[in-house]
Amino acid sequence: MRFTTDQQTLDDLRLFGKGGDGSIYQLFNRTSTRGGAAILEEWFRYPLSDEDQINERSGIIRHFARSGQPFPFRPELFDRIEQYLASQDERSRLTGREQSLKDKMSGLIAEDSEYKTIHQGVAALVEVVHLLKGLDWEVASEKKAFAALLDEPALAALLSLPVKAKLTYEQVAAHDGLLRFRHRDSVRRLLQHIYQLDVYISVAAVARQRNFAFAEAMPKGRLLLQLQGLYHPAVPNAVSNNLTITPESNVIFLTGANMAGKSTFMKSLGIALFLAHMGMPVPASSMVFSVRDAIYTTINLSDNLNAGASHFYAEVLRVKKVARELSQGKSLFVIFDELFRGTNVKDAYEATVALTSAFAGHRDSIFVISTHIIEAGDVLKERHDNIYFTYLPTRMQGTKPVYTYTLEKGITADRHGMIIINNEGILEKLKNGKPKITKNRLV
Amino acid sequence: MNTFADKQTLEDLNLTGKYKPGSIFSLFNKVHTRGAEILLEDMFHTPLLNADEINRRSSVFLYFSRSAYVFPFHGQAFSLVEDYLGSGGQGSFLGTLLYLARRRVMLAVTKDEGFSKLREGIQASILFLRTCRTFIDGFDVKDQGNPFLSEILDARSILHDRRLAGILRDGNLNSLAKLASVHHLLTYTMQKEMEQLLTTLHQLDLFIAVGKVAAHRGFSFAQAMPEQEYIFHAANLRHPSLEKAVGNAITTDRYRNVIFLTGANMAGKSTFMKSFGIALYLGHMGFPVAANDMVFSVREGLYSSINVPDDLSMGYSHFYAEVQRVKLIADEVASSRSLVVIFDELFKGTNVKDAYEATLSVTAAFAEYRNCVFIISTHIVEVGETLRDNDNLQFTFLPTIMEGKTAKYPYLLQEGISNDRHGMMIIEQEGILEMIARLKHHPN
Repeated sequence: MRFTTDQQTLDDLRLFGKGGDGSIYQLFNRTSTRGGAAILEEWFRYPLSDEDQINERSGIIRHFARSGQPFPFRPELFDRIEQYLASQDERSRLTGREQSLKDKMSGLIAEDSEYKTIHQGVAALVEVVHLLKGLDWEVASEKKAFAALLDEPALAALLSLPVKAKLTYEQVAAHDGLLRFRHRDSVRRLLQHIYQLDVYISVAAVARQRNFAFAEAMPKGRLLLQLQGLYHPAVPNAVSNNLTITPESNVIFLTGANMAGKSTFMKSLGIALFLAHMGMPVPASSMVFSVRDAIYTTINLSDNLNAGASHFYAEVLRVKKVARELSQGKSLFVIFDELFRGTNVKDAYEATVALTSAFAGHRDSIFVISTHIIEAGDVLKERHDNIYFTYLPTRMQGTKPVYTYTLEKGITADRHGMIIINNEGILEKLKNGKPKITKNRLV
Repeated sequence: MNTFADKQTLEDLNLTGKYKPGSIFSLFNKVHTRGAEILLEDMFHTPLLNADEINRRSSVFLYFSRSAYVFPFHGQAFSLVEDYLGSGGQGSFLGTLLYLARRRVMLAVTKDEGFSKLREGIQASILFLRTCRTFIDGFDVKDQGNPFLSEILDARSILHDRRLAGILRDGNLNSLAKLASVHHLLTYTMQKEMEQLLTTLHQLDLFIAVGKVAAHRGFSFAQAMPEQEYIFHAANLRHPSLEKAVGNAITTDRYRNVIFLTGANMAGKSTFMKSFGIALYLGHMGFPVAANDMVFSVREGLYSSINVPDDLSMGYSHFYAEVQRVKLIADEVASSRSLVVIFDELFKGTNVKDAYEATLSVTAAFAEYRNCVFIISTHIVEVGETLRDNDNLQFTFLPTIMEGKTAKYPYLLQEGISNDRHGMMIIEQEGILEMIARLKHHPN
């Protein structure tokens, strides 16, 4: 089973950016080859849910991060090989027979472009195989995999050809049949493996450069999420936070003013967890987590007022989706940012209490819920012992709010909608204005 | 410059805009002539601020909405005549004759189109004048109830001018000299009279078109009162663009100048507020309104905050945009202007608690300006509960009626504060809590 998610979550966390800017994918996409970029995208599309697979992948990336080894091939070689492999037309296959006079003539006048593609492809493969032979791998699995690939007959045969010398027609023709038709699979596997290597190395470079940590995946069994120095990778000079979640604290009740950083903190949590399930380095100093089945976030839920659906109803549908997954026994990671803001205070209060309470009954899932309804916290504290109350504080410097972005334990009533209104002097303006008639001067 | 309503308000209410689908302007833009359309545009852009002027204009529209006059021209023919009459003529008859003769020769020699065009224009104008005379003669000269009578009489005397009699009788253009004399008369000698005639026709076109829309849609005419009365009353107030709109009654005065509106999202709050704003705006133009028995004090401005442009990806900036809008309106209100203000779902861009506090304090502060009318809608019913004791607030709501699982909206205002607690009801209906709890009771 895969670690699953949905479009809302991908959008909330900006995993794939619209237009490609500032997304998490873009942050990591430093691959040299197009094939590498495709594999990275696949990793993002299909995160893992098996701790062994996760740890294996992150182990390999960690190794490359430590060694700092660059991608050993010239990227353009792979464009040539791909272009060469793209044609599977039997008629284009070079035959071993002597070149006809006509062929020779045309070779003299202008090199046949089809032959040129084939020649370049074979030559590029020769260069890749020779280079690969000379490399030594610290990572055992890579060493074994590449050694096995080089033993495949079609590829081993390339080692007998000279590097960077012009290949004769006979040489090219002899190998074309093997590489492009009979042993096409071997070549594809070789390329896939090199592309994957590209991803490992480029992701490792990002990890080194940005000082990301590698998360340790644990079996699903007992819920655990331990984070040190977690921050949002797209926020400049982001402040980091620590957090430990166990079955005794699996519901996070987050409070804080509008600008205090609640959403950013929740997003960084979601991003770290998502990356960790891909075996990717995470923006934190250390991370240990037990694998989950799915992640669902509700941060920037847009209401579709034109379709007649209220914001509140959109939120309800979102909650329902999570509820359905929970009822199927899945262990989830769930984020709800400022639930039920599209309704009245009483309903928002009741709904927040009822839902948080229901969620608290599932100790093998993680729920992160931000709200301004601190009264809900008071009731929930009485009812449940597995809710962890934390907040992001606001310090007032005169009338100017200042934010620390550092989690503190407890609940805060900080809000500053009114501060903004007061700063704009709206109420004073109205108080000092001169109505033409007032209650006391009614004619 | 429109001092009555700003761009945000015009957009909220979808008032202006020739090419905007469903705009109130296009609802009334059923005129035939470009001149009438320009008049209509002017009226939309400059509402009147004086009760007498408003009543004078609305009496004209009222007269035409009750009469069965049909504007006898269509756009294309009319603009051909307008182009011709506006082309300007020669100072002397001899000059005109020479000019025409030259064009006539040019036609023969070089197939120049000018002469044919000219003759076409003259012919069309004669036809136009004949139709015009029949049309204007159709008005009763002794009808003292016709507020446009003096303009009609002026037009009548132009059309019965002795100089035009010959043309209108036979219209013989056989000779070049005859052609030249008519051309000279229409574009030079009687040029001023022709201009006046066209202006009157533009006005008639507009009056008839607006009157027709009013009669066709069952609109009525509002009575404007001096500002000092500070009243607004309308029965059967509805949205003019909606075919089967439900009407509501509304009254405000200095003792009850705030309407506090609650109700579910789909219950029709915004539509009601827009209906009110549009009726007030049309009233200030002297136009027919989608309401009955409307009486209103003239105000100095109309401000709405319905669809403040928001950027939901930044919850803060939407809130901030709303605060800026409220601030602008507070400035206007505090500077002693008598305004009508519409706030739809104030502060919806922030959390429910900030929205509660902000809505409460802002509503309370505005309410003291009894020379202004405020309509404030919110889903935060608690604000209303807190303000219950303010005697100048009218609490109204648009109800939701649940029929089994489906909600029905009657769109009829009721007194009080909505107690529709759909929030928890919807959650219960969706069976969410049971769904979450299911696993607990039946592990695996």
